[in-house]
Amino acid sequence: MRPLSQDDIAPTPWPVTTGMNILVVGVGGQGVLMISKALALMAQRRGFAVKQSEVHGMAKRGGIVFSHVRFAEQVWSPTITRGEADMLVALEWAEALRWLDHLRPGRGVFIADTRQIVPPFACRSRKRGAPSGYARETPAEIVGRHADGCALDATGIATALGDSRAANTVLLGRLSAWLDYPVAEWHDVIAAIVPKGTREINRKAFDAGRGWTPPAPDADPDLVAAVPDALPDRHVGVAIEAAWCKGCGICVKLCPERCLAMDGPKAIVATPSACTGCRVCEWLCPDFAVTVRNEGVPA
Amino acid sequence: MLDVAPATPFDPKDYLRLQYMPHFMCPGCGHGIALRALLAAVHDCGIAKDDLAVVCGIGCSGRVGGYIDANTFHTTHGRPLAFATGLKLARPDLTVVVVTGDGDCLAIGGNHLIHAARRNLDLTCLMLNNEVYGMTGGQASPTTAATRLTSTTQSGAIEPTFDACALAAAAGAGFVGREVTRQAPALKTLIARALRHKGFSFVEVMSDCTEVYGRKNDLGEAPEMILSQKADMRPEQHNDAPNQPFRPNALPTGVFVERDLPEYGARLRAHAAMIRGDTAR
Ligand SMILES: Cc1ncc(C[n+]2csc(CCOP(=O)(O)OP(=O)(O)O)c2C)c(N)n1
Ligand code: SF4
Ligand SMILES: [Mg+2]
Repeated sequence: MRPLSQDDIAPTPWPVTTGMNILVVGVGGQGVLMISKALALMAQRRGFAVKQSEVHGMAKRGGIVFSHVRFAEQVWSPTITRGEADMLVALEWAEALRWLDHLRPGRGVFIADTRQIVPPFACRSRKRGAPSGYARETPAEIVGRHADGCALDATGIATALGDSRAANTVLLGRLSAWLDYPVAEWHDVIAAIVPKGTREINRKAFDAGRGWTPPAPDADPDLVAAVPDALPDRHVGVAIEAAWCKGCGICVKLCPERCLAMDGPKAIVATPSACTGCRVCEWLCPDFAVTVRNEGVPA
Repeated sequence: MLDVAPATPFDPKDYLRLQYMPHFMCPGCGHGIALRALLAAVHDCGIAKDDLAVVCGIGCSGRVGGYIDANTFHTTHGRPLAFATGLKLARPDLTVVVVTGDGDCLAIGGNHLIHAARRNLDLTCLMLNNEVYGMTGGQASPTTAATRLTSTTQSGAIEPTFDACALAAAAGAGFVGREVTRQAPALKTLIARALRHKGFSFVEVMSDCTEVYGRKNDLGEAPEMILSQKADMRPEQHNDAPNQPFRPNALPTGVFVERDLPEYGARLRAHAAMIRGDTAR
């Protein structure tokens, strides 16, 4: 997997003068509404008209839970249509993918928790580690390619701070890096909406999210380890048939994960463990010399 | 023909004449990528190898058919569409695919293209456009972009080029589309749609001739050439890259025409039946 680089996530704060559409999604019981409330309150305090609408349900595992927050000088429709969201905040990885098409093409910002909550209907077998129908796309395949933004283990960060339930606030903190409002105002807003006893942990979670930096490129065992762990069912692998390879180098240069390398006149698999099974090399080998095994991505 | 892809995974080796592999094309040649996409599309459509006929012209593109384990015909330069027309009329039960090159299809075979499109016989024509006569050593073709160096344009091409898709559409083709080899999965989907379309389907594949065109024009090695096709996942990033005569960034891809027009084979058979009926009376 290609590690996220600084370029992928460095936010350019958005001078919010014309308003914004923010879509917050999750699986329920995660605090989608808390994020929406904080955004709505912030926008209100800044003098915007705000409309917020949601489909919610506690622990509606496998269902969809979302909240639309729109603020501007004047807001008419309460919902955000496909391709109109300036920001997508996802509290669960597959939900992030599900709603990707709602982001504004080209300049929408994507902020997602990489944590996976595998819904029951995605499980095809009850055996431990059996293949599931859960989304195969990895953060490296999405961030910086389909959308700008970042994918972080918000749940992990919140757990380390002492309460996994603050993952939503970690994401809110991350989101705040794109909005040009002072930190003190954010702290105020959070204090106004969270239960008194959780103010401290939420403030810490917010700061952790806001200050989050991606693991340094190349040396990010955490991130690299995080995803394969969560995907016990990816039976992927890449092989090259030397007799058919003419050494054109297409697979070596186009593999997004840099799994392949030239060995003299032929391509070889240099880091098989990095293969995500995306099949780019297989599709683009003019000589039928590359074979990718991935039960999740059809050939 | 299946409407949805079969459950069995696609393995190109099921569709190749393995005794001729590896194929003869140069390292990095885009024609191999197009061949794979074609086989994957055939698999998606569930076409049995015995029900598939691939008719090729002459050129590197013309050699593509010989590697396919189906009914294949290597015909004369520029005339695969004419051969395919005869074949499809005699055997309407076959899925007939023509694989041709930009020189084969637009220069010597230009007339056959416009008339095949006009008749709208149920054929799928795959034109592998590498903007050059690859097989004969790199002469300019009707799609060689201005300023490009070839062995017949030693100081740069000056002729305007054909837009093959516009040509096929204007001539009456029922289905017209274009894709770059860089987007091989999209190319497969496009070819599958063309195969399913009833009528004349024209698909232009933007392919790289790495050896006699890429080298002569200093377009880099195979990876650089395919990367410069620019049709990446983030169009906003390549639209503002400087426009180059080779594969202008604005090159449209996708399906341009998809329309139900009377199919020539059905028309001809109905007409023949009518005449036979008349004479019997
Ligand atoms: C009647 C006739 N004229 C000329 C030739 C020589 N010839 C062979 S291949 C070719 C050009 C092929 O170019 P293209 O169709 O673009 O295919 P490519 O090799 O680029 O794939 C020519 C002119 C021939 N074989 N027959
Ligand atoms: S000459 Fe060009 S078109 Fe022909 S096989 Fe070589 S690279 Fe491909
Ligand atoms: Mg050619």
